Amino acid sequence: MSDANTPSDVEPEHEHDHHDHEGPGYATPQAAIEEGDREELAYVMSLYVGTDVDAPDFVAVVDLDPDSETYCEIVDRIELPNRGDELHHFGWNACSSSCHMEGLERRHLIVPGQRSSRIHVIDAKDRRNPELVEVIEPEEVFEYDLSAPHTVHCIPDGEILISMLGDADGELPGGFLELNDDFEIEGRWEPPGEIEMNYDYWYQPRQNVMVSSEWAAPKTYYPGFDLEDVEAGNYGQRLHFWDWEDGTVEQTIDLGEEGLIPLEVRFLHTPESTHGFVGAALSSNVFHFWRDESAASRAADDASGDEPRATGEYRAEKVIDFESREHDDWDMPVPALPTDILISMDDRYLFGSNWLHGEVWMYDISDPSNPRRADSLSVGGTFGEVQEVQGRELSAGPQMIQLSLDGERLYWTTSLFSSWDEQFYPEEGERGSVMLKADIDPRKGTMELDEDFLVDWGECPAGPARAHEIRWPDGDCTSDVWQ
Amino acid sequence: MVRQHHDVTLEWPDADRETRTIAVSEDETVLEAAKRADIALPFGCRTGACGTCTGRLLEVDGAEPAAGDDGRSTVGIDGAFSYRRSPRALKDRHRDAGYVLLCIASPRADCRIAVGASVHTELVDNPWK
Repeated sequence: MSDANTPSDVEPEHEHDHHDHEGPGYATPQAAIEEGDREELAYVMSLYVGTDVDAPDFVAVVDLDPDSETYCEIVDRIELPNRGDELHHFGWNACSSSCHMEGLERRHLIVPGQRSSRIHVIDAKDRRNPELVEVIEPEEVFEYDLSAPHTVHCIPDGEILISMLGDADGELPGGFLELNDDFEIEGRWEPPGEIEMNYDYWYQPRQNVMVSSEWAAPKTYYPGFDLEDVEAGNYGQRLHFWDWEDGTVEQTIDLGEEGLIPLEVRFLHTPESTHGFVGAALSSNVFHFWRDESAASRAADDASGDEPRATGEYRAEKVIDFESREHDDWDMPVPALPTDILISMDDRYLFGSNWLHGEVWMYDISDPSNPRRADSLSVGGTFGEVQEVQGRELSAGPQMIQLSLDGERLYWTTSLFSSWDEQFYPEEGERGSVMLKADIDPRKGTMELDEDFLVDWGECPAGPARAHEIRWPDGDCTSDVWQ
Repeated sequence: MVRQHHDVTLEWPDADRETRTIAVSEDETVLEAAKRADIALPFGCRTGACGTCTGRLLEVDGAEPAAGDDGRSTVGIDGAFSYRRSPRALKDRHRDAGYVLLCIASPRADCRIAVGASVHTELVDNPWK
């Protein structure tokens, strides 16, 4: 277990001194909005795995500076040493959770291969020309009986935690792998047996809580999506709430049939908050979760005087429901499949992508219990009103999303997972992915497609590539955490 | 001791690529032998969990694996390969239909296999379409 400097109790006062902000990131989410520059570069996971293109996956460096001659172009590609990785999600060695750590830099990208279980470390000190500096080979990972690395977050002291979806054989249970600040495997983060399925996670250190979600065993989701597996109960529907300091599960919530395949899970950015959201992809819902302190009162009332006082329980409630839609070419109603969500840095809007329907949407979550649909864009996918941009036909729906720190520009890519892409949008393998952008007006709550913006992975030198998760060099809405 | 080899013919059904025949030792996998012959086949986990390397058996020792009434092949598919580990990415219906994971399979007979990314996509359909 990490020796992360986290408070053991929920306290209004905390030891983290923002006046001594000498480390990476920003002192507060509001500081990120005010002090963060406009994003001029994006790092984007780019992949060839599963295709006949004889080339390794790569990290694309995309020029997002409208004043640049190479705007909307992939200006650098960090090729990895091996084929077969399936780059998927990635993260920084340090974020705003370490803003007190003098000498620590947000400098190294930790880039796992979802299929290979290989973990790459890329030095991005030169933001336009990052270079690969370390590779942790799969056999080193398998020694800890883990495989299929997914979400990468830094721990506030410079260490790195990676959610792992399977054991060394690609079966259950998954767990968490911890790297030290020299990018060596420290070991398993949690005691064995805490969870079976794993997927995404987010932590809120001031509340001493981590939440994790569930996809399935790697051997289940790797080959593609099979309804037989749903019927057999091989896909997840639970959220796990952890004691962040102890690394143990304190509470598990079964979301039921309306919470099938809970994927991306986000706490609000403000470190005091216990509110968050998770998208249930297969059942096409979004759940709000929060810590119900009144449960503490009830528990305390029921307890005898000698029993320890309970400190509340987490609750989860479905707050957004996307209806399936009929399509002439499909035998059954098409589910929306919301595969990614994020929360704007000011905690005002929840954004998401309905990959099958072809929609990006924004909900006002000022009252997180009652999200209000603000706006949406119908683009790509099965029903999108816009099916081409600049004459470039879109092959799939919006998938991984990323928002500017000021909340005014939403970007997205179109690949979900290579085998699932082949199943639902087989043409994407032939045309490659695109990256698109919408301009957001946070004041009015509106979004508008920027048809001048298009990055095309169909034109990569080795052949069409898929594009997945997006990160900004200096922090973003899906990786920064505050203490 | 003489190492036993088998001729494995690789065909790309949906790609404009030349059919290749390689000698594969009984103690190496088809994927390893292909790499040795500088032939790129798709792969991912290399442990039999992900199915990225899936091939489909077309012929064993000169006999086509014709499907019987129950959809099962009439030639011994399981006898054509020896697996280093359990082929976890394949369900029973896939194994019965002649699919094989080339990252962990070593041949026990001369055979012809459909390979390439399109074979993997045969494993599952879009269930709503």
